[in-house]
Amino acid sequence: MSSRQSSDDRLRHGDRKSEQAADWGQIRALFAAGLHLDLRSARAKQRNRLRIPPMISMLATYAVIGSILAFSLVKTSDPFTFTLLTFSAAMFMTAITVIMEYSSVVVSPNDYEILAHRPISSRTYYFAKVANLFFYVACTATALNLPAAIVVGLRFDGGAAVGFLYLIMALLACFAAAALIILVYSTALKLFDYQRFNTAITYVHSIATIALTFGYVLLPRMLIKENVTVAIEKGPWIWFAPPAWFAGGVELSVGLGDSRNLILALLAIVSAVVVIHAALTMISLEYSRSIAELAESSTEETVRKDRRKLRTRFAALGIMFCRNDEERAGFQLMQAYMRRNRKLRLRIYPAFGLPLAVYLFGLVSGGLNDPLAPRPVESTFPVMELLGFYCVFITLFFASAITQSDQWKASWVFFAAPLESRVGLLVGARKLVIWRYMIPFFCVLLLLMSLVMPPESALLYLFITFVLSLMAFSLLSMASPFMPLSQSIEKTRQARQMGLIMLLGIAMVFLVAITETLRESRLAGAIAVVLLLTLACLSEIALRKRLASRLAREEFLG
Amino acid sequence: MDTTDRQRIDPTNSDSKTARQDSAIAIEFRGLAKSFGDIEAVQNLDIKIPRGQICGYLGPNGAGKTTTVKMATGMIAPTSGTALINGIDVVESPIQTKLMIGVVPETGALYENLTPIEYLTLVGRLYHLEPDAALEKAEEFLRLFGIADSSERMMTGFSRGMKQKVLISAALLHNPDVLFLDEPLAGLDANTALILKELLRELASQGKTVFYCSHILEVVEKVCDRVVILNGGEVVADGNVEQLKEMTHRTSLEDAFTELTSEEDLGAIVRAFSRSITGKAREAGNE
Repeated sequence: MSSRQSSDDRLRHGDRKSEQAADWGQIRALFAAGLHLDLRSARAKQRNRLRIPPMISMLATYAVIGSILAFSLVKTSDPFTFTLLTFSAAMFMTAITVIMEYSSVVVSPNDYEILAHRPISSRTYYFAKVANLFFYVACTATALNLPAAIVVGLRFDGGAAVGFLYLIMALLACFAAAALIILVYSTALKLFDYQRFNTAITYVHSIATIALTFGYVLLPRMLIKENVTVAIEKGPWIWFAPPAWFAGGVELSVGLGDSRNLILALLAIVSAVVVIHAALTMISLEYSRSIAELAESSTEETVRKDRRKLRTRFAALGIMFCRNDEERAGFQLMQAYMRRNRKLRLRIYPAFGLPLAVYLFGLVSGGLNDPLAPRPVESTFPVMELLGFYCVFITLFFASAITQSDQWKASWVFFAAPLESRVGLLVGARKLVIWRYMIPFFCVLLLLMSLVMPPESALLYLFITFVLSLMAFSLLSMASPFMPLSQSIEKTRQARQMGLIMLLGIAMVFLVAITETLRESRLAGAIAVVLLLTLACLSEIALRKRLASRLAREEFLG
Repeated sequence: MDTTDRQRIDPTNSDSKTARQDSAIAIEFRGLAKSFGDIEAVQNLDIKIPRGQICGYLGPNGAGKTTTVKMATGMIAPTSGTALINGIDVVESPIQTKLMIGVVPETGALYENLTPIEYLTLVGRLYHLEPDAALEKAEEFLRLFGIADSSERMMTGFSRGMKQKVLISAALLHNPDVLFLDEPLAGLDANTALILKELLRELASQGKTVFYCSHILEVVEKVCDRVVILNGGEVVADGNVEQLKEMTHRTSLEDAFTELTSEEDLGAIVRAFSRSITGKAREAGNE
């Protein structure tokens, strides 16, 4: 015991003496190398004929989303309302992106073996990682907010100068949002024993996603009573809503310089500086040690005897739906990875928070109405549609995550094995996801929704949403036609796939059209549901054809 | 059998090779131990390696060799005990000690999406070498290892041997006093292996100290002045090759190693394996 204490004492002593200083030369070198690695790894595996650099396509996606947001709010009557709404969206998207990417950037022992024995201080190592993350935040935040900055410059007094100031405030807001998420994870890393951190971080991810989505959906909707052309009234709530602080700063620059805006602007700047400073310093001294412990914890992990026998048996039942050995292999591989691989769980579990947050919002706002009952006369926020959208949105995470792994080189075994067809491997992995995650999740939702509406309506609505999700899952897998866990994890990949949200808009059209048809006529609705099922089957057939042609040509590049 | 005490030999009293070395200690472990939960990976390690010595560090899989290297190179903190490089505590002064060492890790991990030149330049900058000097040295190493033609190619397509050459170059780039080599010959062709062996002897003669982990006993026998054998996290033998052979009454290091680290009849295991592969085990069982 005493020797253990003495080791810890010496570690702390080491922290004080030599680990504190940040070496800017090393940070620059690591930052530049990090960018090289990110951009090249994405480009090296790029297979599309257009050869658009991945970074450009990612920024284009964000610019399109930013443009849609900015121009949909162009009629807003005052700069505060406009800025509040755009900043809310930008901060939300930044925070969600950091949640999705954080594990692969900051809390990742990936390069531990390469750098741990080099003379790099803990703070240098941490700053280099955070600099890399902030670079992406700066790029995406600029792409996202530039269209809105142009609108602000053209629409409100002050012209280009105000547009520029808007962009600066937007960047500051996005940096603060990113820093806040880093701070949450740093706190988790500090609070939890590194062995429990692996489990805890998954829940932190999910809770953060629920909180963010809830806040994002709730805040503007509670404020906008009629429509966005009416200015939002500033009440006491502004002191509790960070986007309002930054919006106050922009309004100040337009010339509406009351004392309240001044305080809001100060609050925005001070809070951003405090949060960013805290994020940079909280774990920087213990960072190397934490990462080393995380890296080592994987070597000591043993497979726990699964005490959750019910879950194991349920998962085992799913394998009955696999038609051949390839499918069974894909199913079992994904089952083991989902259970034991922290990174994979981190990439998927937060997605479940999105529909749950909307459900919570629906409970609070009273918007969880029977979707098949006649629509109320007064205009209400479409909670049910948003819930359906996020249920379908989850498949985006699945489609992307099941093909990626930091152990992707192990996929050589798929190329070496005498497989008749490699299609079955991904099909099996998809079946595991559907059986083990999607079906139970929809059952939980059914239970929750049955509390506030007739169970048969909830069942029918969720059935339609489930079929749409399956369809979306097939279409998204077509965009990611690889064998399970056979692709390296790349930073820009998931962000780029955000562009596929547009595709999910089609699913929403289907959802709205079918529920409307069901409201009008049950017979026509039934026909629409049958058509939807047919479409889902066709999309699955199309996926298998695409996989067959794509995977037959696949070569192992490890 | 408690081999720990029986086989331990004071290395300072070993043969002339060791005696020639500088008396200053380059690597020292004092009661070094590491536990992972209930598993004691390394237990109470006490080793002193004088400057200029090539110390072979052997042991079966899972004996604790790589864990020792990780503790000595500051990659992980020991549970107890101390690792010193040139008399400086690795835990207390990690940056200072890391500047004095070069490491070839067992995993062969490097940034594969960089070119060898980019990787070595990055490493040079991490050790505060002048960029031009780092570049010049990097090019020289790549030329010596025969991969200068591939210096501008991303390492994703490199063979294991080519990557190993880059890793060895990275370990030597900053002219370290102490080298930790964990399976350095992995993937190397015969000629390069020969170059490396000669290079290690040359470096040792210049006063560099080499901590050499390997499973290739022939190489250890030829290159190392001293051999430490680890089993189950504990040192079971420590001395030069001749002393180990003498102690175990064996004629080769391989046999001595087997004697010290395995209590099973290897021949019987091989026969059982063979039967299992060909399916004859079942038949034999049925009979």
